[in-house]
Amino acid sequence: MRLTDLPRTTSFRLSVLFLGLFGASSAAFCGFLYWQATSYLNSSVDHWIQRDSVMYLTAPWDIVPRLTTHAERDPDAWRPFALFDSSGRFIAGNLHSLPERPVAFGRYFEYELKRRGKDTPFRGVGYRMPNGDILILSYNVNEIYGFKHLLLDSMAWGGILVFGIGIAGAVITALGAVRQINGITGAVERIVTGNLRERLPTRRGAGDLDRLVHLVNGMLDDIERLMREVKGVTDDIAHDLRTPLTRLLGGLERARRRTTSAEEYARAVDAAIAETKAVLGTFSALLRIAEVEDGARRAGFMRIDLGRIAADVVEFHAPVAEERGVTLSFDPESPSLTQMSGDPSLLFEAISNLVDNAIKFSPIGGSVRVRTFSTKGRIGVVVSDNGPGIPAHEREAVLRRFHRLEKSRHTPGSGLGLSLVAAVAKLHGLTLSIDSSFPGSCVTLERDSPLHVPLAAPSVPGNAARDEAEARAVSTSV
Amino acid sequence: MTRVLVVEDDAQTAAEIAAALGDHGFEVECAYNGQEALDRAVADRYSAIVLDRMLPGGIDGLAVLSTLRGLSVDAPVLILSALSAVDERVRGLRAGGDDYLTKPFESLELTARIEVLLRRRSASDRQTMLRVGDLEVDLLKREVKRGGRAIDLLPREYRLLEYLMRHPGQVITRTMLFEEVWSYRYDQRTNVIDVHMGKLRRKLDEGGLPSMIQTVRGSGYILRAPD
Repeated sequence: MRLTDLPRTTSFRLSVLFLGLFGASSAAFCGFLYWQATSYLNSSVDHWIQRDSVMYLTAPWDIVPRLTTHAERDPDAWRPFALFDSSGRFIAGNLHSLPERPVAFGRYFEYELKRRGKDTPFRGVGYRMPNGDILILSYNVNEIYGFKHLLLDSMAWGGILVFGIGIAGAVITALGAVRQINGITGAVERIVTGNLRERLPTRRGAGDLDRLVHLVNGMLDDIERLMREVKGVTDDIAHDLRTPLTRLLGGLERARRRTTSAEEYARAVDAAIAETKAVLGTFSALLRIAEVEDGARRAGFMRIDLGRIAADVVEFHAPVAEERGVTLSFDPESPSLTQMSGDPSLLFEAISNLVDNAIKFSPIGGSVRVRTFSTKGRIGVVVSDNGPGIPAHEREAVLRRFHRLEKSRHTPGSGLGLSLVAAVAKLHGLTLSIDSSFPGSCVTLERDSPLHVPLAAPSVPGNAARDEAEARAVSTSV
Repeated sequence: MTRVLVVEDDAQTAAEIAAALGDHGFEVECAYNGQEALDRAVADRYSAIVLDRMLPGGIDGLAVLSTLRGLSVDAPVLILSALSAVDERVRGLRAGGDDYLTKPFESLELTARIEVLLRRRSASDRQTMLRVGDLEVDLLKREVKRGGRAIDLLPREYRLLEYLMRHPGQVITRTMLFEEVWSYRYDQRTNVIDVHMGKLRRKLDEGGLPSMIQTVRGSGYILRAPD
């Protein structure tokens, strides 16, 4: 942005607008002040003239001698008093010709005379006497004029100063804004051209623009993370889907080349079906995670009890644990304390994934413990085991799609389980944390207790939600 | 013979569905858009309708469904959809659908669900005793006996057995069991249900009796009296 663009900036325009408003109100104020001051000063002069005129007018027969005396006392005519006949000829006094300005009788007027080589202001009044003569009484108002000029000058200078400072302030503010906007546009242009690491320049201030910058930077962090994730996911999909697809293709080609009997064909087809199912399973798992992350599933939210779902999960997995020789125990909190709003199927699936993992990686004779809790305004569920645990440096990574610990590469599973858990947790406002205490790991899903939060009504008050709730009520009674 | 109308705009998918249902023993007719589906379903009586959610030409699956229900066509309708979101499902069921299946699906899943829909209407809910072969379930006392011998089942095993007993001789898939017995809805890909079924099967077959629950193609179960 160039300097000529300055007047186009909002801050400059605002400053000028306020300067204008301030200037107009100051001008009005000064005008009023000026008017008040001058009328006060004039009225004191008028008062003196008034006193003299009473003296002259009440004794018209005495005017000429009085004026003569006055002229003798005031030869320089600083107080010009004079009488003229009706045609304007001088009769007596110390003002020898009528003022150039026409005289409105009985009204105060101002005029100028040369005194000591300078134009000097006078204020006076003219009267028409009963015989037609004209009486002029006036006072020198040089000091009042001086004061008025001083007042006007100081107001003008003050105005110029204020205007100058105001414009300078506007320019400085606008320059600051322009510099920041230039910084921001530059950063945005670099981001648009592909440098996602770039951030908008921040300042220490807490102005509205700075708050916006912080907000946008937070958003950019999210975008950068998402872009990285998308790239990671694309790589992972390429890897994890290419493998089964390669196997599928290889199997089919081999069947085509070598197979001779119907049974062999059937076997090859079965193998191909199994591979295809695995690929489809991976795909639908990915789609589900995307759907959950999208937040669309909130439509299925209803009032649920985390403890009930955890109990169902434990009951669901109990036979498998038993079969593997793993002790699966459940330690419930009082059901009234673990209520929240959520999607029961998703929460079941998430907790189920955790329990399934814990059982899968527990040694024979190990134990898996599921616990729901409500303490210090937090509610949640904890799944802990005494298996090998997750190394500290892998704890972030396990939440990524397809990530599998090196040790678990040879066990079945898509590596999507924990990312689904993470997505479900995020959808429900639950924090997912993984602690590893050797031996074993401990996964916690927790959130602030929503006890005082009104239940978010499902946006589709459908039959399915009600059916599901009823079905669940039935299953408790069994 | 059971006649099923398949409404699906993609000809190849329609042919696959028709083939799967045909192999199962149904007589299948296909419609490829909403208008055709309406014409056929109103003109003819079908035992069941398989309806794709997305159809070209203005009348989509849900519109077809609500129109049919408005015309008192009460054949059971299974909705097929590529949309798995929960509110899509709810919308489908509210429009008058009886079941909802997300693409892609296995043919076994489709035929099993249609079988259950077909027989749901005929089965009476007022039964108090279910019998298959020498196995009997007293629904009031919640007692299970095989050949007069009482079998002690856990609540969940009882519910699994009750569901299978209500549909004897029909294929029930793992997903159907999970939805019906656990009341949660998602694609269960673990073998946990197999383990539950294994335990139930062992309890039923205790004492060397011939097995009553058979596994079908790896993903379904069928309960029938042993020959």
